[in-house]
Amino acid sequence: MELKIRKSGLIYIIDVNGEMDLYNSYKLKELILKMMEKSIEQYIINLEKVDYIDSSGIGALIYICSTIKKKNMRLRICNIHGSVKKVIELTKLMGYFPISNSVEEAIKHIEAE
Amino acid sequence: MSDSEIKEILVDDKSKLFDTTGMFYKEFPSDYRQIRYFTLLIVQKAPPEIKEINLLEQQVSELIKNAVKHGNKSNIKKKVRVWFIFDTEKARLIVEDEGPGFQELEKWNKFNRKRLQCFYKQDFEHMADFVSFRSKSSDDTDGGNALFAALEYWNDGVVFSTKKNKVAVQKTFPIKRHGIEIK
Repeated sequence: MELKIRKSGLIYIIDVNGEMDLYNSYKLKELILKMMEKSIEQYIINLEKVDYIDSSGIGALIYICSTIKKKNMRLRICNIHGSVKKVIELTKLMGYFPISNSVEEAIKHIEAE
Repeated sequence: MSDSEIKEILVDDKSKLFDTTGMFYKEFPSDYRQIRYFTLLIVQKAPPEIKEINLLEQQVSELIKNAVKHGNKSNIKKKVRVWFIFDTEKARLIVEDEGPGFQELEKWNKFNRKRLQCFYKQDFEHMADFVSFRSKSSDDTDGGNALFAALEYWNDGVVFSTKKNKVAVQKTFPIKRHGIEIK
């Protein structure tokens, strides 16, 4: 799994590429915790290039989402598709996660908040 | 949705899902690093017509992970035994470990019931307390959500043995309808 960071104004977009499974999901969690230490407050997690997620990946997203909510920071998760979307639906987290269709939509959403 | 309609994990040694007749069999050492590889060895028997093979792989992987990690505590000397059968209509698996069994099963069912009650009320604020089930053996890499999805995915049931170290699951795939629509 590869993680790349880019910026749009004050918003940090994390492009995830690969499989979010039991062996590597912790990397995303660790990256965001490090970014939080640097006082970054607005995040977009782009899952466009993720075709596989398991319960550890979902767990990492839950952890990130709840930590960001507690700290009153901003998060959108976007471009979920295929089996990733199915796993989130099976876990009934579609309404719990802050989901946007695209990076552009996620940026607009955060900027409007 | 009423409470009685909420699905539960069952305990029933006599469930027909435990019938191994005609099933393939494999056994693996409890090597955490190889969980996905073991899963592929099983899922490769699935017919290519099955849609969403990624999802089937993920669901099988969760059962193997539970057996390796929570059942056998990743003790390489302990085995995970798997019986499996796939066709275009159904997938069925039985996974057995050598551990003490899923002793928190009743607690899990109660937790899941509360989670689903929040979900059906669309009460996501309270649902936040029920998104991850933590047991004594949970650690940071455990999402605590695998069985929530399993109970939905394996739509013919998730059944444990009385000892609770053996689980049987079955899914019926949606029927693909062919034909010409006459208007």
